[in-house]
Amino acid sequence: MTDPLDELASADVVSSGGEDFTAFAVSRWPGLVRLAFGLTGDRGAAEDLAQATLARAYVAWRRVSQADDPDAYLRRILVNASNRRFRRHRVSEQPGDPPETAVEGPAELVSDRAALLAALRQLPPRQRAVVVLRYWEDLTDAQIAATLGCSAGTVRSQLSRALAKLRESPALQEGEER
Amino acid sequence: MTGSGEAELRERVHLLLQAVEPPMAPVDSIIRCGRARRLRRAGAVAGGLGLAGIIAALPLLTPPRALAPPHPPLPVTVPASGIAGPGGVFASGTADGRAWRLAVEDVADPGYRCLPAITVNGTDANLVQPNPRNYAATAFGPAAPGLGFAYIQLPADVAGIVLDGQETVPAVTASACGLRYRLAGFAYRLAHRPRVTALGAAAAYRLPAVGSLGTTTARAGQNYGVWTNVRTPGAETEQGILASGRGWSITVLLGADGDCYHYESMTTPGTPQIGACGPVSTPDGPETIMALSLSYPPAGLHGPTGYAVQVSPETDRLRATLSDGSTQLVTPHVVGGRKYAAFAVATSLRLVRLTWLDSAGKAFASTTALPRAGYTQFQP
Repeated sequence: MTDPLDELASADVVSSGGEDFTAFAVSRWPGLVRLAFGLTGDRGAAEDLAQATLARAYVAWRRVSQADDPDAYLRRILVNASNRRFRRHRVSEQPGDPPETAVEGPAELVSDRAALLAALRQLPPRQRAVVVLRYWEDLTDAQIAATLGCSAGTVRSQLSRALAKLRESPALQEGEER
Repeated sequence: MTGSGEAELRERVHLLLQAVEPPMAPVDSIIRCGRARRLRRAGAVAGGLGLAGIIAALPLLTPPRALAPPHPPLPVTVPASGIAGPGGVFASGTADGRAWRLAVEDVADPGYRCLPAITVNGTDANLVQPNPRNYAATAFGPAAPGLGFAYIQLPADVAGIVLDGQETVPAVTASACGLRYRLAGFAYRLAHRPRVTALGAAAAYRLPAVGSLGTTTARAGQNYGVWTNVRTPGAETEQGILASGRGWSITVLLGADGDCYHYESMTTPGTPQIGACGPVSTPDGPETIMALSLSYPPAGLHGPTGYAVQVSPETDRLRATLSDGSTQLVTPHVVGGRKYAAFAVATSLRLVRLTWLDSAGKAFASTTALPRAGYTQFQP
């Protein structure tokens, strides 16, 4: 006997755009985990956030699949979920280690990654998000503003402050000395 | 920041995030989670649904965080006092019907300088010094199939750890060799390395992939029973020559990588040092018998072989019986408060029996289960 929920799901996930949710999730998963890692600095939290983001996209699949830019939609969900997480925990979370693959690389590269993680860790969540969206996602001020739900001017000021902090970060300076 | 500075930052951010290798997308979990969300929404809108319907939906109403991992954390027992119990035990439990315990104890032979180490079940050990940044894990392969064991040295501001957000393991203070440690220990399933987060502070620990142990890699040379340390192990090392001949020597180096044996030939220019590491045993634990190929390039089972054995304190000599019926009597050397014996077997011969002799010359243990390469463990 077919599970009615399965019928409901399959009817829902085959969108008019023709893109199957499973294929969509598989293709977006790595990018979401990496973006989430940039926002949180924590591998486990990054996977949780990416999973929660795609679950929300599943609920709103019709809307997501028909959106002009489904990735922008996902980014917005992810960043909001990440901000909620920070508000809930009320802590400036420390990342664990650099990504596992870091140990495979040359020592300087590993130090570089660790230094950057440490420096990003010092930034408030919103500034960290601006940096990651700008330098990882290569978004414009307007796109970042739309993702964060603020003005482009706020993005510019947040980015400017973040860069100033990164420039003074002892972790990054140590990394450069190495 | 200048334009070039921004370009550099972009490159560094890319290097950092590209190094993240996500696991397979958990599409099934995502869809289950999405359905639960949808049902929650539906439930909120249509609050008048019948009780039966609600009960039927309950299993699906769990929030995403409640998507329990398929392998829940194994339960851990710690001393209620927060201080290690007798024998330095700071964590214990039962996994798959097998009791396990983690302790801090001295692994030097009686009468020698104290060597603090973390042990599992009083046998395999990992040398330690107080170092809150250090953590390590090991697995025993067939001796404890599918299970790993780990400990974490915690700083003063961390009250303990949480495994997969479910099992809390408080920090326990333990002392050995005049040094104090704050430790949290646990067992886990190799099929699922738990997420380990700090209690009372924001920090996370990533366990080494001990699941890959047993397949020796060129980089790490890891094997079952050899602890994999994360960050700086900090433990002191001891080394000493165990056996030597005309132009060759076998050396042991005892440290956080285990008991590592090296063969060096001074007569063949360009011959690299050949080495292998095995588990650190306690005085009561099994003795590790290590076989090293002494030829370069390695001649497999057809070249000369070196043997090194970490022997129990009561061992006075070791008798090696070779395939031609001849014997070698080997006198152990003490290195770092532990006894080791080593010898070499020529190409045309092979080792067929090892016999342990006490100070009266009486044999008290013997084995013919001897490796031709790598190591085995033997309990006299």
